[in-house]
Amino acid sequence: MPKKPELLPGTLDMLILKTLARIPLHGYGIALSIKRLSSDVLTVEEGSLYPALQRLLVHGWVKAEWKMTETNRRARFYTLTAAGRKQLGAELSQFEQMITAIGRVLSDANEEV
Amino acid sequence: MAREWLTEAWLRVRTLGKRSRLERDLEEELQFHLAKRAEKNRALGLPADDAQAAARRRFGNVTLVKEDCRETWIFTWTETLWQDLRYAARNLAKSPGFAAVVIFSLALGIGANTAVFSAMNTLLLRALPYEHPETLATVWSTQKPDLGADGLPPPVAEVADWKKQNHVFADIAAVGMTMPATLTGIGEPGPVLVQSATQNFFDLVGVQPAFGRVFRAEESQEQSQTVVISNAFWRRRFEGAPHVLGKAFRLDGVVSTVVGVMPPGFTGFAPWYGSGAEGKPTEVWRPIDPGSARYLKRSDRWNMPVARLKPGVTVRQAQAEMDVIALAMEQAYPESNKGVGEKVIPLEDTLSKDAGDKLYPLLGAVGFVLLIGCVNAANLMLSRTEGRRKEYSVRASLGASRRRLMQQLLAESGLLTLMGGSFGILLSFWGTRLMRAITQGVPDAENIRINGRVLLFAAGLSLLTALLFGLAPAIRAARPDLNDAMREGESRTSTGKRGRARYLLVISEVALAMVLLVGAGLMINSLLRMVLPSPGFDPANVLTMAVNFPETEGKYLEKIPGTDRNKVSPKVTAFHQQLLERTAALPGVESVGMISVIPPLGAGNKSFSILGHPAPSPGDRPMGYFNEVSPGYFRTMRIPLRKGRYFDERDAPSAPWAVIISETFASRYFPNEDPIGQQILLRYEPEQVDEDRPRQIVGVVGEVKQIGMGGIHPLVYESFLQQPKTIQSDAYFDRMGSLVIRTISDVRTQEADITMSVKQMVKEMDPDQPVTDVSTMDDVLAKFASGYKNYVVVLGSLAGIAVVLAAIGVYGVLSYFVNQRTRELGIRLALGAQRGDVLMLVAKLGLTMAGIGLAIGVALTLGLNRFMAEHLWLFRVKPTDPATYAAVGLLLVSITLLACYIPARRATNVDPMTALRHE
Repeated sequence: MPKKPELLPGTLDMLILKTLARIPLHGYGIALSIKRLSSDVLTVEEGSLYPALQRLLVHGWVKAEWKMTETNRRARFYTLTAAGRKQLGAELSQFEQMITAIGRVLSDANEEV
Repeated sequence: MAREWLTEAWLRVRTLGKRSRLERDLEEELQFHLAKRAEKNRALGLPADDAQAAARRRFGNVTLVKEDCRETWIFTWTETLWQDLRYAARNLAKSPGFAAVVIFSLALGIGANTAVFSAMNTLLLRALPYEHPETLATVWSTQKPDLGADGLPPPVAEVADWKKQNHVFADIAAVGMTMPATLTGIGEPGPVLVQSATQNFFDLVGVQPAFGRVFRAEESQEQSQTVVISNAFWRRRFEGAPHVLGKAFRLDGVVSTVVGVMPPGFTGFAPWYGSGAEGKPTEVWRPIDPGSARYLKRSDRWNMPVARLKPGVTVRQAQAEMDVIALAMEQAYPESNKGVGEKVIPLEDTLSKDAGDKLYPLLGAVGFVLLIGCVNAANLMLSRTEGRRKEYSVRASLGASRRRLMQQLLAESGLLTLMGGSFGILLSFWGTRLMRAITQGVPDAENIRINGRVLLFAAGLSLLTALLFGLAPAIRAARPDLNDAMREGESRTSTGKRGRARYLLVISEVALAMVLLVGAGLMINSLLRMVLPSPGFDPANVLTMAVNFPETEGKYLEKIPGTDRNKVSPKVTAFHQQLLERTAALPGVESVGMISVIPPLGAGNKSFSILGHPAPSPGDRPMGYFNEVSPGYFRTMRIPLRKGRYFDERDAPSAPWAVIISETFASRYFPNEDPIGQQILLRYEPEQVDEDRPRQIVGVVGEVKQIGMGGIHPLVYESFLQQPKTIQSDAYFDRMGSLVIRTISDVRTQEADITMSVKQMVKEMDPDQPVTDVSTMDDVLAKFASGYKNYVVVLGSLAGIAVVLAAIGVYGVLSYFVNQRTRELGIRLALGAQRGDVLMLVAKLGLTMAGIGLAIGVALTLGLNRFMAEHLWLFRVKPTDPATYAAVGLLLVSITLLACYIPARRATNVDPMTALRHE
C-alpha cells in the first residue's frame, strides 16, 4: 500500500478554517470533509484534529455550539467567526506566496537540468 | 514577539475559569467522534465490538489527545507549580518545627538586611544636591600632631594663596562648621543653626537662592552683615512671607539682613558640626570676608575648603599639586605651616564618612546573619531530603522527571522564603526605627524609611536566598541513587560523602558566628570601658540649663573697634551672680553652681607654662583644658577635693587669681612636687598671647569626664570672677555658662517648676537672653552614650542571633547523626559500650566541628582586622584584643556544647533492642 502524503506542517489550521468557511461542521464531519474534498489524498490525523480545534477556539477564530445532528444526536458544531475569516485570508495568502515561491524554485531547477 | 506571547498568554488565562466545562465538552465531543466512527465501521459490516475497537485504534491514545487539548488551555507548568506549592505547604505543615526554624532564620536575615539597606539607601546611595558632586572635593590639613587624626581645615588666608597658585581647581570656597547662634529681634529669642561661607560657595556647588541673591564678602561688617536663609527657616520664622528680603534680625548681636532664600532641597552643607548641631539642617548662612583682619592672621582653622576640580582633573592629580603647594607654604610660612601637608578628599567621602563608619560594619554583620540563616536552612533542607531519599527514588523510578523533582523541592524552598521574606519585611519596618536611632546625628537620618527601592531589594534578596539554600538540596534530590536508596538498612554506619557537606556547612556557620561575636565583643568591651567608670561627679538629682550670652551685643561684650577683641562688661559677672543667688533661693534647690560647659560636653583649651619650671619650646607647649566655674560648682556636682581647697569668697576679682586643677593635671605636670601654691601662666593659643597675670593653684579635685566619656584630660578650673577684661571675639567659651542645680528631692518632680522659675528670672533680668538645653544630668550622660549603646545593642543582637542559628545548625546535624546511626549505637551499647563512650562519640563530633569553625573564624577575623580598626569605633580596645577573643570563643564553645547535649543524651538513651528492630 503506497504511503499517503502527510499533511504539510502548519496547514491543518488552514484546512479546518477553509472547511468551516463553507458550512458549520462537527469534528468528525471536518475530518470526513477534508478527506473527501482532497479526493482521499489528505487524511487528517484524528489525534491532532481536536487539539487544533481547541487552539482555534482559544484564539476565538471559531466558535462551538452543541446542536442536534440529522440522526438526532448531540454533536458539537464549529462555526467560523469574523476573526477566523480574517485569519483564514491571512493564512491563505501566506500559503499562496509559499507555493508560488516553491513553484519558482522548482521550475528554475528543472530548466537547469 | 513579546506582544504575541502576551496575547497568547492572556487567551490561555481566560480559559482558567471555564475549566470544568471545557473538560466536559471535550469528553463528550470525543465520545461522539468515536461513536460516529464505530457506526461507520458497523455499516461496513464489522461486528459491534470490533467496530468500536477499530474506531479506538484509528483514533489513537484518547488520554494523550485530551492532554494535548488541555495543553492549549493553560500552561501546564503553572498547574504543576500550583500542585507543587500545595504539596509543599502540606509537607511543611507536617513538620512545623522545621518550617518555623527556617522561616525564623530567613526572616531575621532578610529583615536585618532590608533595614540596613534602607539606611544605606537614604544616607549613602543618594545623589548629593549639588551640581556635578563628583567633581567636588574637600581639602584637609594633616601631619602636624596637634591637628588630630582626622586633620583640621587650613586657614582662610591660605586658601586664598592656593587659589592663586594651583592649576587643578576651577574655584575654592570655604565653609565653617554649622553651629548654634543666638537669634534675637524676631519672636522668641532662641538658638539658630548658622554656617559661615565665602561668597563663591553657592556658585561653586551650583545652587542658587530660590529668590533674592547671595551675600557679598564686603557686606560682612563688625556690627552688621547680610545673610542667606534656608527655605525651612523662612517658612518657620517668616511664615513664608514673600517680602522677607531686607528684613533684619540679630545673630549673636550682629544685625543680619536677609538678602536671599535658598530652595527647599538645600538643607545645608554640613560635613562637620559644632556641638549641638549634629546632623541638623543649617538655617542661616553668613558671609566670610577673607580680607578682614580676623582671617588674614592664618590662625583660624575652622573653615573647610570645598574645591571644584577643573574638567578632566582627577583627585590624584589634585593631590599631587597640593603636595607641591604645601611644600611652598611650609617655606613661605614656617611658623604656622611647619610639617603641614594637605589632603584632597572627594566630597562624597567626606560627607559619607560618618554614615559609612556606622553602616558598613552593620552591613557586614547582617550579611553574615543572612548567610548563616541560608546555611542553616540549606542544612535542614538537606537533612530533610536525605530523610526522604526513598520517596524520591521511588518517584524517580516510577518516571518522575528530574525537572519535576527539582521543581517540587524548589517550591518548598520558595514557599519558605516567601514566608521568611514577608516576615522579614515586617521586621524591617521596626528595624528602620532602630537604624534611625543608631545613625542619629548623621544628616537625613530621620528620613530613613522603607520605600519602593528598599522593597525591591528585599524581594531580590529573598529570591537569591531561595536559590542559595534551595538549589543544592534540589539538585541532590533530583539525582537519587535508585539502587542505594531502595535498599534498606545499608550505609547506616558510615557517614560517607553525604554527611561531609553538612559538616562543612555547620563549620562555616560557626566560623561566621565567630567573626560577628568578635566584632560585637570588641564593641561591648569598648562600651564597658566607656560607661562603667564613674563620670567623676554625682549626676543624680542635678538639673542643668544653658544661659549663653550672645557674642557681640554691646550689652555684655563690646567689640573694641579696629581689633577682633571684645571688652567684657562688668554686667556679665553681675548677671551670673544675681542668677546664682536667686536660683539658690528657689524652693527645692539644695545648691547651685555654674560652669562654662557641663561635662562631658567639652572644655576650652589654653596652653600653659609653669613659673619656675624651664620654659617649654613654642611648638611643644602643654595644653590645659579649662572651664570657668562658680564657687558652688564642685559642691553641687559632688566632685571630691583631693588637696587644698575649693574656690570661695577669698577669690574676689581683686585678689590674686586662683586656679583648681584635676588629679591628672597634678600627676602629669607635678609628679614630684606639691602642686598647691604653684603658679601657671595660661596662653590662648590662636592668639598666642599670655594672660596678663599668672594663676596660683589652690586646689586639686577628682578626675571628671569633661571631654567625652573616653579620654582623661588635664583639667583646669578658673573662677568666673577672675577673668580678663578683654577676650578674643572667637573665644566663645568665655561667654558660655550652664547652671547645675542640685534638688533636695527627686529631680523629676521638680524639673518643670524650677525650669519655669529660672526662665522667668532670666526674662526679668534680660528679656533677650535665652535659656536653652534644659536637661537632667542623668539624661545628658544617657544621651551621650545612647547612640553608641544602641549600636552595641544592635551589633550584639546580631551576633547573638548568629550564635543561636549556628547552635541550631550544630544541633540539627548531630540529631541527624544520632538518628542515622541509631542501629550502630544500639549494637555498640548491646556489645557493652558505656553510655559515657556514646556521649563522647557525639560530643566529639560536635566539638570538632565547633573547633574547626572557631579556628577558621579567628583567621577570618584577623583578616578583617583592618576593616574593624577603620570602621568600628573602638575605645581603648585593640581589634586583636586577646581577652575578647578568648571570651567569645569560650561562649561559642559553651553554646555548641549545649547544642550537642540533647542529641548526645538521646544517643545514650538508645534502647539496644529497639535500635536493632529499628528497620
